[in-house]
Amino acid sequence: MISKEEIVAIAELARLKLKDGEAETLGKDISNILDYVGQINAFEADTTKEHKPDVRNVLREDVPRQEGDAMFEKRASILAALPRREGDHNVVRKIIQKDE
Amino acid sequence: MDLATLSIAEALQKLEAKEITSLDLVRAAKAHIDSKNADLNIYLEVFVDIEEQAKAADARRAQGEKGALLGIPLAIKDNILIEGRHASGASKILENYVASYDATVIKKLKEAGAIFLGRVNMDEFAMGGSTENSAFGPTKNPLDTSRVPGGSSGGSAAAVAGQMGQAALGSDTGGSIREPASFCGLVGLKPTYGATSRSGLMALGSSLDQIGPLTRTVEDAEIIFNVIRGKDPLDSTTIDSDTYPTHVPTKKIGVPRHLFAEGVDKDVLEKFEESLKKLEAAGYELVDIKLPSAPLALAMYYIIMPAEASSNLARFDGVRYGLAKVGDSLLEDYAITKGEGFGPEVRRRIMLGTYVLSAGYYDAYYGRALAAREALAKEYDDALKKVDVIATPTAPCPATKIGEKSDPLSMYLMDVFTVPANLTGNPALSVPMGTVVREGKELPVGLQFTASHGDEASLFAYGKLLA
Repeated sequence: MISKEEIVAIAELARLKLKDGEAETLGKDISNILDYVGQINAFEADTTKEHKPDVRNVLREDVPRQEGDAMFEKRASILAALPRREGDHNVVRKIIQKDE
Repeated sequence: MDLATLSIAEALQKLEAKEITSLDLVRAAKAHIDSKNADLNIYLEVFVDIEEQAKAADARRAQGEKGALLGIPLAIKDNILIEGRHASGASKILENYVASYDATVIKKLKEAGAIFLGRVNMDEFAMGGSTENSAFGPTKNPLDTSRVPGGSSGGSAAAVAGQMGQAALGSDTGGSIREPASFCGLVGLKPTYGATSRSGLMALGSSLDQIGPLTRTVEDAEIIFNVIRGKDPLDSTTIDSDTYPTHVPTKKIGVPRHLFAEGVDKDVLEKFEESLKKLEAAGYELVDIKLPSAPLALAMYYIIMPAEASSNLARFDGVRYGLAKVGDSLLEDYAITKGEGFGPEVRRRIMLGTYVLSAGYYDAYYGRALAAREALAKEYDDALKKVDVIATPTAPCPATKIGEKSDPLSMYLMDVFTVPANLTGNPALSVPMGTVVREGKELPVGLQFTASHGDEASLFAYGKLLA
């Protein structure tokens, strides 16, 4: 069983504020799910015959793209979606804040 | 005759023969929406301009144009972007979001002349198998309103089964097209990984997600797939039609019976065996196959998917779009925005994903799941060298009652036959295989075919044999 402290620590990593009592219910649900997916430990990875995934690089020239680009000429609607806006600027919080 | 019941192919034929107009089709679907949607909760929004879209399509046809879907009304899952329309992913966090651009599949559908009736309900961010996890309430199955339509593309399936559109688009990360297709008596295709572009699809598990059609016939699924497939510079995982070698037909069907020795409803298995007999009678050979890693597929999936989901959903931070709550610090802004915007299942998966990726647990869960996934992919590759398709039931049971699967793990277990194709990237198709009776009602169940990478052609060919 995963502890309440662990749940609180994971929520902090996930940048997720839990509701009252949620740490307890999440702890129970996640423990059950982890018990189930823990079956994966039965899998013996055969290191002698590693099956490499067929991964390819997909590259293109680094040039400004216009036509065919989903974002081309979409500036106005992207700006319209900003939660806090001043003119054409996105208002965001300071990343570095004074210790108080 | 009710035009809302026509398949795409039938509707196109009648449009071509000038027996009907696109406006007739749209009005027929709208009549069903008006009479049933308030109860079934399928459409989150019916677009106000559907008649204008239909008239424009009729005008294009009158000018001699012949788009592959010209004038055909479709329902679109609420996680696929249509420029200028709301797209919420059935989440409070995007409740007021308006899409800035068209998903690539939408762009292709527009070029082919399709009409978008509206956006349909789903499990929040496609997390679930019943459409009960929507922030906007559950969708009911039109075939039995006490039951779920499946999920996460439950609104898509219910729209087609409820005559509210000729077909629908869904997305499939672990069975989210195929399971609702099974529960609603439809055909559902999860294409080969990379066959359809995900540009403009809200990401759940990026190594798993594919967009695909839910339709009344195999032929219709093929029509839509041919429109939406193709390489896209906006999604670097998309493939060319010749990326994979052409499969050489064997007229053999692989059946991994060891996977359904237990846990599948008896009458569902009977329907499955009846369908196999039909295929045998048509001259196809059944071959017993073993997929030794497949019993671990669900465990792999419920490690890899939440890991990817927790990473993908980190983008909903209230900085660029969507819900934005203000707290005492930047960190708190993030935490309360997510805390208020995401529903319970999304929070659960973010937590689970963060846990399996965290220091100290990575190797035990995520690392091992990736290794097992490779082994599973190899087993499918090897099996599909000797057979054309692998056949299983799509789901272990018919549609469940609303509220029946309240424990998250019991809901996850429904995905046992569908997750392997997402893990391996193979294409898979669910086709109706008859009905079973629950509480006096006939409920449809589906059979799933899985084929080699890039070999949707075999899926369509085998699917048509069961029609």
